[in-house]
Amino acid sequence: MEMLEKEEEIELTAGRPPAPAPPTERVAVQARDLSVFYGNFQAVKDIDLACIANQITALIGPSGCGKSTVIRSFNRMNDLIPAARVEGQILFDDVDIYGPGVDPVEVRRRVGMVFQKPNPFPKSIYDNVAWGAKVNGFKGDLDGLVEEALRQAVLWDEVKDKLAESGYSLSGGQQQRLCIARAIAVKPEIVLMDEPTSALDPVATLRIEELLQDLKQRYTIIIVTHNMQQAARASDYTAFFNMNSDRAGYLVEYGRTEEIFTKPREQTTEDYITGRFG
Amino acid sequence: MTDIRSHFHHELSDLEQTLLNVADQAEQMVGMAVDAVCLPDMELAARVVALDNQIDKIYLEVHDRWLTLMARQQPMASDLRMMSVLLHLNTTLERMGDQCVNIAKMAQITYGLPRSERIIAQIREMGDLVRQMIRTGVEALVRRDIDEALLLPAMDEPVDRLNRNMYREVVECGSDPSLLEWAIRMMLVSRALERIGDQVVDIAEQTAFLLTGEMMEFNEDGILGTD
Repeated sequence: MEMLEKEEEIELTAGRPPAPAPPTERVAVQARDLSVFYGNFQAVKDIDLACIANQITALIGPSGCGKSTVIRSFNRMNDLIPAARVEGQILFDDVDIYGPGVDPVEVRRRVGMVFQKPNPFPKSIYDNVAWGAKVNGFKGDLDGLVEEALRQAVLWDEVKDKLAESGYSLSGGQQQRLCIARAIAVKPEIVLMDEPTSALDPVATLRIEELLQDLKQRYTIIIVTHNMQQAARASDYTAFFNMNSDRAGYLVEYGRTEEIFTKPREQTTEDYITGRFG
Repeated sequence: MTDIRSHFHHELSDLEQTLLNVADQAEQMVGMAVDAVCLPDMELAARVVALDNQIDKIYLEVHDRWLTLMARQQPMASDLRMMSVLLHLNTTLERMGDQCVNIAKMAQITYGLPRSERIIAQIREMGDLVRQMIRTGVEALVRRDIDEALLLPAMDEPVDRLNRNMYREVVECGSDPSLLEWAIRMMLVSRALERIGDQVVDIAEQTAFLLTGEMMEFNEDGILGTD
């Protein structure tokens, strides 16, 4: 897969009124007409979503609207669910990651993921970070790579003197930053985060949000959050999902975060973020 | 429609109603201040000053309530725009009260001086126009009616014209020093009424912002333009 070089003008809406001024920045990953099924149940329907490189895109919406399903589609995590089926495309560097011949393991190396609850391996802090590189046959300076990843995750100063200790010895917030360090140690281009702070206290949450602002200089970040204030604080773009009467999730509105939270185009978005539900 | 933030929305409505009441009071104060000058009536002038003290008190209370709501509720979208409008409205109404006090003080300073009935008539006309502007501006906000808000620049135009014309009326009073002193004070009254007219146009712009999400300047033709 080659990186998408040309600037591409994208359409940010999902069959809705057009966005006033679609961004022309480089698209890192794009869902096109994406539908995901679990058996006979359609979880999400006809999603068109283009995530901009080196920006933070937040996916928000009520429970069951399919935002986690969408984010898991971006690195083929849904493949691990037996009855899951995907229609449409996820374009990464102009290549459909669900296309024939695409190795899902390679996809997941280039599109990393951080989960809701910190899930360090039962290994040392060092080995947690080094694990991905070792699995991928890394032959270079492993110490340097571990340090770099921990520095990027703003954890190095807190753990540099206890790298041999178990990852479990860290606090919840530190464990989540360790998981971020583990995700970025394999040099992904995109980092997916599925409610990465929902199990953390407010201080640890703010640390992660600050960290995101640093990480986006190097990575494209897509984050699912139930916390609208977090989406407003931390993201550059926001996608609001809702669900139809048949409970299939769909993309209502996508745009710059400041637009979504000050003057959304869609009444459904307005009602959701002001707490008025029909 | 279920409102899961009903307590917050009730607070927001209550804050808006408080300021709408202040706007009604400001409209009455304009009438009282103009009467204080034109009759003249020193008791009315003193009442205007007292009512402005009430507005100042409400201004501080609204500011505190606004800060609390902002910090605790973190409003979004139209709620956020409404919060912005209320903050602006609070300041604007407080300044309108101050302008009424300026007019009332001119009534006190000029008490006993000779007067020009032509200037008195002009001040009365300006006062009536400005009061109507306030009523229209408040109604546009209450009804969330952008068309009504757009009426305000045209309504402000005769107020501006009368204010510009006041200079000539004052010059006409030139031969009598006492009359001239009174007339020069009336220029300040005219200026205060003109400023209140501009402040009502500001309120109309805020109504447009609430409804559209776009901050706009209204020009003299009432046509919208981005500032």
